Amino acid sequence: MIAGLLALGVVTTAAQEETVSDPSGAIGQIAKLPEGVLTRPELKKLINAGEKLFKTKFTIDDGAGRPGATQAIIPTKARHRSDNAFKRLPGPDAAACSSCHNDPVVGGAGDFVTNVFVSEGFSNADFDTSDPQFSNERGTNHLFGAGLLELLAREMTSDLHALRKEALEKAATSNEAVRVDLVTKGVSFGRLTALPDGLVDLRELSGVDTDLVIRPFSQKGVMTSLRQFTINALNHHHGMQPSERFGKRWTASDDFDEDGKTNELGAADISALVAWQATLPIPQQTGTNDLAQAGKRLLGEFGCTNCHIEALPLRSLLFSDPGPLDASGTLNTSQVSNPGIYDIALLDWAKTLEKNAKGEFLVPLFGDLKRHKMTDRSVNALGNELLSQRFVGRDIFMTSELWGIGSTAPYGHRNDFSTLDQIILAHGGDARKARDSYKDATREDRRALIAYLKTLVIKP
Amino acid sequence: MRKLAAGALIAAVFCTPIASANGVFTSDIPSMHEEAEAAGIIQSYEGPWEFFVGGGAASFDCNGDRMPDLFIAGGTAPAKLYVNRSRAGGALEFEEKSHGLTQRDATKVLGAYPLNIDNDDHTDLVVLRLGENLLLKGLGDCRFEKANRVFSFDGGRAWSTGFAANWEKGNAFPTMAFGNYVDRSAPGTPWGTCEPNVLNRPANSSKTVPNYQEQLPLEPGHCSLSLLFTDWNKSGEPALRITNDRQYYRGGQEQLWRIRPSAPPRQYSRSQGWKNLRIWGMGIAEADLDQDGLPEYALSSMGDTMLQTLDPDADSDRPTYRDAAFEKQMTAHRPYTGTDLKPSTGWHTQFSDINNDTRLDLFIAKGNVESMPDFAAFDPDNLLMGGFDGKFHEKGKEAGIALNRRGRGAVVTDFNADGMLDLLVVNRKSNVSLFRNLGVKTSWGHRPMGNWLAIELNNGKVNRSAVGAKITVKTGNLTQSRMVQIGGGHASGQTGFIHFGLGVAERATIRVQWPDGDWSHAYRVFANKFVQIPRGKPDALYWYPR
Repeated sequence: MIAGLLALGVVTTAAQEETVSDPSGAIGQIAKLPEGVLTRPELKKLINAGEKLFKTKFTIDDGAGRPGATQAIIPTKARHRSDNAFKRLPGPDAAACSSCHNDPVVGGAGDFVTNVFVSEGFSNADFDTSDPQFSNERGTNHLFGAGLLELLAREMTSDLHALRKEALEKAATSNEAVRVDLVTKGVSFGRLTALPDGLVDLRELSGVDTDLVIRPFSQKGVMTSLRQFTINALNHHHGMQPSERFGKRWTASDDFDEDGKTNELGAADISALVAWQATLPIPQQTGTNDLAQAGKRLLGEFGCTNCHIEALPLRSLLFSDPGPLDASGTLNTSQVSNPGIYDIALLDWAKTLEKNAKGEFLVPLFGDLKRHKMTDRSVNALGNELLSQRFVGRDIFMTSELWGIGSTAPYGHRNDFSTLDQIILAHGGDARKARDSYKDATREDRRALIAYLKTLVIKP
Repeated sequence: MRKLAAGALIAAVFCTPIASANGVFTSDIPSMHEEAEAAGIIQSYEGPWEFFVGGGAASFDCNGDRMPDLFIAGGTAPAKLYVNRSRAGGALEFEEKSHGLTQRDATKVLGAYPLNIDNDDHTDLVVLRLGENLLLKGLGDCRFEKANRVFSFDGGRAWSTGFAANWEKGNAFPTMAFGNYVDRSAPGTPWGTCEPNVLNRPANSSKTVPNYQEQLPLEPGHCSLSLLFTDWNKSGEPALRITNDRQYYRGGQEQLWRIRPSAPPRQYSRSQGWKNLRIWGMGIAEADLDQDGLPEYALSSMGDTMLQTLDPDADSDRPTYRDAAFEKQMTAHRPYTGTDLKPSTGWHTQFSDINNDTRLDLFIAKGNVESMPDFAAFDPDNLLMGGFDGKFHEKGKEAGIALNRRGRGAVVTDFNADGMLDLLVVNRKSNVSLFRNLGVKTSWGHRPMGNWLAIELNNGKVNRSAVGAKITVKTGNLTQSRMVQIGGGHASGQTGFIHFGLGVAERATIRVQWPDGDWSHAYRVFANKFVQIPRGKPDALYWYPR
C-alpha cells in the first residue's frame, strides 16, 4: 500500500511540477561522421569528445534509461515496462562508462562491485537474481591498448580469411579436399578443410568462431569491435540507444526504448567514443628488478607464454572506424562512403612501440586473442557459469591479456580471485600444464613470476 | 484450431519485438538495377491466346556450382537455358547453353519447375507445355534428356499451367500435381470447359526408377493457374491448394484437396468449412506471416490480391479462411504509379525478405492479359515491403521495378551470391527483366542492407533437397520460418538456398523439421553465410561462392 502511494505521489508530483532539463552536454559535439585520415588536431578533437562522453553521467534528459526495451543486442521490447532509472542486475546499471571503467584511472578495469550481469536479454530479460541460470556475472575489463587489440584482430582475421580463400581455390582447381592449418601471427586456430564444391568443413577449428573472425573483446572473445561493444554497452548499462542500431532503419522508431527521447546518440557520438578508447595508451612495464626479471623468464619456462604471448606483430597503426568486420546493426566500412582513419602513430605513446625486423609494431599484450577451455575435472574454478555466451561454451574464455594486470585486481572473469597466485592456480583445461608447472615450482620462483606480473601496469 | 488461433495471438505479441510504425516505412528500400540484356539474357514470352497465361522460369543449379541457373519459357518461341556465370557480388552474367530439346519440345513451353525426381546428383526439370508436358532428367553440366518414357510418365495433351510436387510419406519419389487450364477441344470452349487437374503418384513397386504410370484426375478442374502442396493445418500431410481462373469456369471456385497417402484425393467442401471464393486466381505464395505455425496464402488475381488466413472458426479439419489483404495493406488492386487507375492483373506472387530486415516482402508480377480494356494497360510489378507495423508498403517505384512491361512468371533469388535477393521477371512480348539488388542507394553509391542467411538442406538419399521441410531461424525473440516447396507462383519454381533476412542479428540458430516430421537439433551459425545442413550430421557447413 505504501509503495503504491509513493508511486502515486511520484506521478502526481511529476505531473504537477515543471521539470528542469539537465542534459549532460556531452552528446552531439561531433556533428559529422569522421572521414578519411584525421589530422592530429582533428583526432584530438574527436578523442576529447569521446572522453567527455565516456566520463559523462547520462541523464534522463539525454535519454538515459530504457523503460520499454531490454538490454539485448538486438532491439527487443521489454515485456514489462520499468520506470526505474536503474536496475542493478539486468541494467541499466550505471550512469557513465567511467562508473565502472575507473581502476586505476578512467578507462581502466573495475573492482568486484562493478561486476555486470550479462544475459541475452530476450527471455527473462528482467531477472532479479544473481543466480547463474539467468546471467553470467562478469568483471569490468580495462580498455588500455584496445585500439591495437582490434587492429591485431582485424589483421589476424584477414589472414585467416585469406587462408580459407586459398584453400578453396586449391580445392576447386585440384578437385580434391584441401586441409589447411589456420595460423596467423604464430597463433594456431586449428584447421579447416575446403571441399572442391566450395563447402568448408569447420570441425577442426580451435578457439575461433566458425566465420573465422577474431573477436578481441570481452572475456569470452565475442565482441568484434570497440564500436559494437560501445553500442551494446550504451544500451545495456545506460539505456542510451545509438541510432545506428536502435533507430528507425531497424526498428521503425526513433524512440525505441520509449523514454520520450528520440535519436539519443548519433553515429558521430559513437565514433568519438571509439576514438577515445582506441587511442588509449598501452599499459607499461615499470619497477622491474632482478626478481621480476627472473619471473619474466619463468613465464616462458612454465609455458604461460604459449597463450600469454608476450607480443604479437602488427602491420599497420591505421585504425579505420567504422571497421571492416562488423555485421549490420553496427556501422561497418561498407555502410559509409569514406570511413574515418585514426592514425595511432600520431600519438606520443605509439612511439614507444618496438618493431621487429619486418618493421612490424610489436604489441606487448601477453595474449593470443584465442579462446581456450579453462577447466578440467580437477581444476574447474573457472567453470562456475551455467550459460554459454554467444555460442561460446561456459568454461571457454579468451586468453586474458596480461598487460595492465598489475593494476587490475581482482582477477578472473567474475573478479573472484584477489591474488595472482589464486588465479594462476585456477587455470585448468588447456592451461593445466603451465599451471601445474607454476604449482610445482619453488616458492621463490612463484614469487618471481608474480613480481613480474605486477610490473605490467596501467600508468595514470 | 481455436486453441491454436489463441496461441497464435500470444505468439505474435511475444515474437514481435518492434513497436507499431504508424504506417511509415523506414526500413531499407533496395535499389534494383535492370540488367537482363547486359547479363546476356534475351528471352521474351510470345504467342497467341494459349500463351496469354504462363510465361514462367525455373531457377536451379544445373552444373553443380550452387549458383542459380535459369530455364525460361518462350511460348511459341523456344525455351532457353542460361548458365549463371556471375561472380560473387558482381554484375549478373549468364551464358546461353543448349538444353538439348528438340524444336517441338522446346516450343509451346509455358513454364517450368526444378525437381530432383530420381534422387540422383542432378536436378531434373518439369516442363509445362501446351500439349505434352515433359520430365527432363538432369545429367549434370546442364545437360538434360527427356525422361517421360523412362519415368513411365504420360505428358498428356492438356494446356498445363501449374505444378506442385511433394514426397508423400514412405515414397521414394515425388507425387506430382499438374494444373490444367481450358480444355480447348471441348464443345463450347473456352467457357466452362476446364480440364481436370492430374495427380501423378509414383508406383510403390519402383525403388530405383520412378514410375508414374498411375494418374489420378482431380475432378472437377476449374481452370487452374497455380498449385501448391501445403501443410495448412500442421497435420504433417500437405494438402493441395489450387487457385483457379474464374474467367473460364462455370460454377467453379478456389480449391483445397486433401491428399492422404494411398487414398484418393478428396476436395474440401462447404460442409467442411471451405468457403466459396471466386477470383481470377493466377499465383499462390505461402508464408507464415504471424509466426503461428499456420501459413497464410497470397493469391494474385485481377483486381484485389487476396491474403487468406485461417478464420477463428477454423479447426484442424475445417479449413475456413478469411481475407486479410486489406488490413495488411496488400490488396495491390491497381497500379501504384502512373495515370492508369484501372484494376491490376496479378500473376506470379512470392514472399521473400528482399531487404534483409526480417520482415517478409511480397513481389507480385503484374501485366494486362493482352488487351483487356477494363484492366490497367500500364501495370507495374509490385514490391510490397513488409514493415515493422505488420503491414505492407508499396515500394516498387522507389526500388526501380516499375517498368512498362507485362510480367508473368518470376524468380526471386540471389543470382550473384551477395546475400541480397535479385529478381527475374518473365514478360509477355518483351525481354525478361533481370534486376540486380544493389542494396540501398546513397549519395555516394550503394550500401548493403541487413544481415542474412542462405540455407541449403541435404535430406540424404531420398528427396535430397528436402521438399516439404520447414526451416526455422531464431534470432533473439524472433523465429522466422520457411517451407521448402516446389509449386505455387505462376508457372515458375526454384530450388537452391533458402534465404532469410536477419536484420541486425549477427548470429542465428537454425532448426529443421525434415519432410518426415523429424526435427533436427539446433545449429548455431553466424550471419551473412551460405549454410548447408546435412541431415543427421552434428555440424553445419559453410559454402563460399567464387
